[in-house]
Amino acid sequence: MASIELSGLTKHYGEVVALQDVDLTVADGEIFGFLGPNGAGKSTTINMLLDFVRPTSGTATVLGMDAQADSQTVRQRVGVLPDGYHVYDRLTGRQHVQFAIDSKNADDDPEEILERVGIIEAADRKAGGYSKGMKQRLVLGMALVGEPDLLILDEPTTGLDPRGARDIREIIREEVARGATVFFSSHILEQVQAVCDRVGILREGELVAVDTIAGLRNAMTTDALLMVTLDRPFEDEVSLLETIAGVTSVTADGAALSVQCANGAKTGVIDIVEELGYAVQDFKTQEASLEELFIAYTDGERPGTKSAADADEETDAEEESATATSEIADEAEVDR
Amino acid sequence: MSVTAVAKKDFQDAVRSRSLWALSVVFVGLAMLTTFMYIEFPELLGGEEELSGVGLGLFLAGIASLFIGLTAIVIAYKALAGERELGSMKLLLALPHTRADVVFGKVLGRTATLAIPIVLGFGAAGLYGYVMISEFSFVDYLIFLGLTVVFALAFVSIVVGISGSTGSTSRASALAVGFFLLFELIWDGVTFGLVYVTNGFALPETMPNWIYVVNQIPPSSAYTTAMMALIPDAIVMGDSAAQEIDAFYATEWLGVVMLVFWIVVPLAIGYRRFKNADL
Repeated sequence: MASIELSGLTKHYGEVVALQDVDLTVADGEIFGFLGPNGAGKSTTINMLLDFVRPTSGTATVLGMDAQADSQTVRQRVGVLPDGYHVYDRLTGRQHVQFAIDSKNADDDPEEILERVGIIEAADRKAGGYSKGMKQRLVLGMALVGEPDLLILDEPTTGLDPRGARDIREIIREEVARGATVFFSSHILEQVQAVCDRVGILREGELVAVDTIAGLRNAMTTDALLMVTLDRPFEDEVSLLETIAGVTSVTADGAALSVQCANGAKTGVIDIVEELGYAVQDFKTQEASLEELFIAYTDGERPGTKSAADADEETDAEEESATATSEIADEAEVDR
Repeated sequence: MSVTAVAKKDFQDAVRSRSLWALSVVFVGLAMLTTFMYIEFPELLGGEEELSGVGLGLFLAGIASLFIGLTAIVIAYKALAGERELGSMKLLLALPHTRADVVFGKVLGRTATLAIPIVLGFGAAGLYGYVMISEFSFVDYLIFLGLTVVFALAFVSIVVGISGSTGSTSRASALAVGFFLLFELIWDGVTFGLVYVTNGFALPETMPNWIYVVNQIPPSSAYTTAMMALIPDAIVMGDSAAQEIDAFYATEWLGVVMLVFWIVVPLAIGYRRFKNADL
């Protein structure tokens, strides 16, 4: 069953189109990232899932129920970290969580929740004095009350330092392991990349892409930069390498080669270099980051849609390079 | 219960506010001072009757109704519009509350909040009166106290209704103050104008009977009149206008009807608008 199903969802504010004809299905148990710049319609979509805002046309179904007609039941089973919220300044953290527990008729222990989101030491302080990050943790804690089937998190990492963002990712993974579905919006691509199964990209109220992270990366036409260190200076003509399918340009500087090429062409380049009699001592790739991908999708020109045939031909090479690059990515992670 | 969860949260929030306690101190002081004047200087106040608990209640009501009305505006005009403006409404409605729960929870929470200074102030005044006045009926005084809380409920309902009808606190405060001006401060002028116009731009010798109905419209008048309906002793002491008119509507119960009207109608309008609003 689908946790979220949007069908032709549209919202106009007078002349302004906030969301146009969005169709989207989020399956049970997946972590779905909703990407887009500010004003793309992410919060509008979430607001319609929660019946804060009513669609101009189209429908939103959450956990099999109509988001508008059955809103209360929907919200009973959903945990929400809304965007642009404000905490009750005079209530303590504990009172906030207790309020969520009372509201959901749940039997959670406020201490446990506050412990989990890492603000137990501030439990009895008024939330008005919390830092932005602590407020974010508090509201996330409120969202966790009652073991929701679906977590809707609108920009959950706003105001958090990298450690806070990592804590949130950890909680997201725990929740999914428990059986929950997570739908979160963000404009910070690393966060999405780090945790999501699939992403949807929203641009000016329209859903321009829905895919897995890897799938999206493959769909990119942006080249990767491959940097190879050889055992001796490269003495052959660089044009030899430039004839390889997918390679855009090659520059040689002594034993260092930089090759601008499509993701799928990388292993081919290394093979040829080795065939030419050089030993590859080291290689690095600078992959097209999700950031670039995001810009490609959301800024003016959309990337040319690659034909399915092209994608098929590249599949073998892609897989190898994907393994190589993911190793590199892992190293990079450690460096950070 | 969802309504009680909202009301409890709202009340907890308000009880922590220092201004509420400052208000309570002021109100206790005001009630004690009023009681002192009632007991010590009855002749200054035009009182000819014996001092009594009912008389004290009527006298307190006259002074307290303005204070209660203004306080209701201060504590309730932001109830819905303010949460919408700030964004805490999203926190509230992310939880499984209906918009009706939110509206009625707010009314209950804010009324309970306003009831604190009322019960403290009139409670203290009542004790003072009980000691000083020989003819003091506890039952009548409790009815008076209860009715005052109902009056607070009416005013809070009006202001929460206004607050629900708009997403902007400045609009809500302007509307609430406008309401107070029209119905509590210049209503006498309005009724005068009505009589003048309907009589062909001249003043009649005697006021028409229907003006009794118009006079019951302001919440504070409805409150005083309702007191006469509930406490028969107050009819004479309060000089009920209904006694001088012979018409089916000339009854003190009209005050009760008007109070119910003020509790129900503005809130129903505000709720409808809030229910249909995009937050």
